[in-house]
Amino acid sequence: MKKKSTALSAAFKTAEWLFVILFGILNLIPIFWGLVTSLKVPREINAFPPKIFGFMPTLQHYARIFSSGFLRCIMNSVFYALLAILLGLVFGYLAAYGFARRDFPLKKLLFFIVVVGIPLSSGSSVLLIPNYMYLTNLHLTNHWYTLPVIYAVYNLPMALWLLIAGVKAVPHELEEAALIDGASQRFIVTRLIPPLIKPSIAAAALFIFIGSWNDYITSSVMINSVSLKSIQMAIYDYMGFFGQEWGPLTASATCAIVPILLVFTFLGRQLVSGLTAGAVKG
Amino acid sequence: MKRKMSQKRRIGGLFYTLPAMSLLILLLIVPLIYTIYCSLYQFKYMMKGNFVGLNNFIYCLTDDRIRNSMITTIGVTLAATAISIVAGLLLALWIDKRGGLFAYIIELIGLVPWVISMVVAGLLWRWLFNGDLGLFNVALRMLGFKPIYVVQTRIPAIVALIFVMSWRTIGYAMILILAGLKGLDHSLIEAARVDGATRLQTLFRVKLPLIKSQVLLSTIVLTVSNFTNNTIPKVLTSGGPVNATNVVTLEQYNLSFMYYEFGRSSALSILIMLATTVIIACYIKVAKYEI
Repeated sequence: MKKKSTALSAAFKTAEWLFVILFGILNLIPIFWGLVTSLKVPREINAFPPKIFGFMPTLQHYARIFSSGFLRCIMNSVFYALLAILLGLVFGYLAAYGFARRDFPLKKLLFFIVVVGIPLSSGSSVLLIPNYMYLTNLHLTNHWYTLPVIYAVYNLPMALWLLIAGVKAVPHELEEAALIDGASQRFIVTRLIPPLIKPSIAAAALFIFIGSWNDYITSSVMINSVSLKSIQMAIYDYMGFFGQEWGPLTASATCAIVPILLVFTFLGRQLVSGLTAGAVKG
Repeated sequence: MKRKMSQKRRIGGLFYTLPAMSLLILLLIVPLIYTIYCSLYQFKYMMKGNFVGLNNFIYCLTDDRIRNSMITTIGVTLAATAISIVAGLLLALWIDKRGGLFAYIIELIGLVPWVISMVVAGLLWRWLFNGDLGLFNVALRMLGFKPIYVVQTRIPAIVALIFVMSWRTIGYAMILILAGLKGLDHSLIEAARVDGATRLQTLFRVKLPLIKSQVLLSTIVLTVSNFTNNTIPKVLTSGGPVNATNVVTLEQYNLSFMYYEFGRSSALSILIMLATTVIIACYIKVAKYEI
């Protein structure tokens, strides 16, 4: 009897790992295949059956996209993401502190706007035409600050949500003790609390980074200068430019994935715990 | 003295939230109001023309292509969301039980499709589904099946769109639902076990009812996200073949940037907004936010 159940659980374990492998393949195969394709010469890409290993790797597609101004777009996107993170964290943290620790007029209404903003900005294409028309009439599109500000705002509701959860988790007594010891309010807000809520700050920063780095649709309508192009815009434009040349296309896709996966590997834990802890209470 | 102090603190609270809130109001709320205004006018390119009342709305609701795109959007959204939620729920229940490194690996792998950009995901899947050279058809041929030209054929294109959309959000749904499971009071489950409930009974009578609102919230977030997603259809199928995957947000995009009908696209934006507002209203009701 006992033997049978161990055999069964061994079979179950195997099935479980098989499933994990299958899940891994399904989730990662586009990325893996994109990377493999980007390293092949065109003749190998068009070969049947395609080789998974054992081809001569080449960097010619990378050389080709980098010689056509791809680096500029990467740097633009890095700049947009960093500025959006800075804006989002500074404004988001201050507001989170206010929401978590103070009572003030209109608090309920303002918080309601934040709550509505989470699903509203998660599908930023709802706001696409409104913001395009509004900002065009104010002559605010197509500037270096256009995208960072929009990205910061689109991701603010969720960042705020994560940061409020963080500030609320800091015990009140700590602040009171600091006040009694003669610390100023400014000290508490700028020096005491931020180090204590590092995980929430990291989660919020990662959230803003993912949102800014990955956005295509907003940048495609807000920007038309070549010098201000974002990386996702560049990749989309390559699809028209290179057509069926999958080498340069997959090379540009790989370049866009690498930073995201790097940051995600280091801060993934924070994002997961931020999403699970800060995620809406039912 | 104390009163004065608290008054100062009250204003202080407003001061902290002011920068963030003014940005949110200026870029989320004001544009909406402005769009309502624009939707009542005729537009040629960006030039405002005559006041046309509700004509733009009537056009959007009666035009065949737009109506079809709404039906497509609703179908694709419901299918993709349902797949993501069911798969995400099963995965969450499973890895919640396993825990440890195993769960962590699944969480990370599961989130990868969600953290990479939709342009990249759409492009890479398009390559996999591509004509004769795509890995999908290579595999089909090796297994002895006829190749399927996914992007060029009606039904396969719709299925592929639903597949890629749910592929993107299964892991995200899993993480959100997992949050609910982790917050469960384990003594309740223990108590059910002690009282002699079977595994299935504990699952259906205790666990699922307790995470109901978390599942509902994830459903709402994903519904809004899929409903308003225009990047994946744009990159994967470009709305084709023959409008088969022409979702409403793509139609809205084309109205503005291909036909330059900004009055009509404003009206369509408002309609999309109204639909999402209904979904968001459910969200607020379920979420029971408190501050």
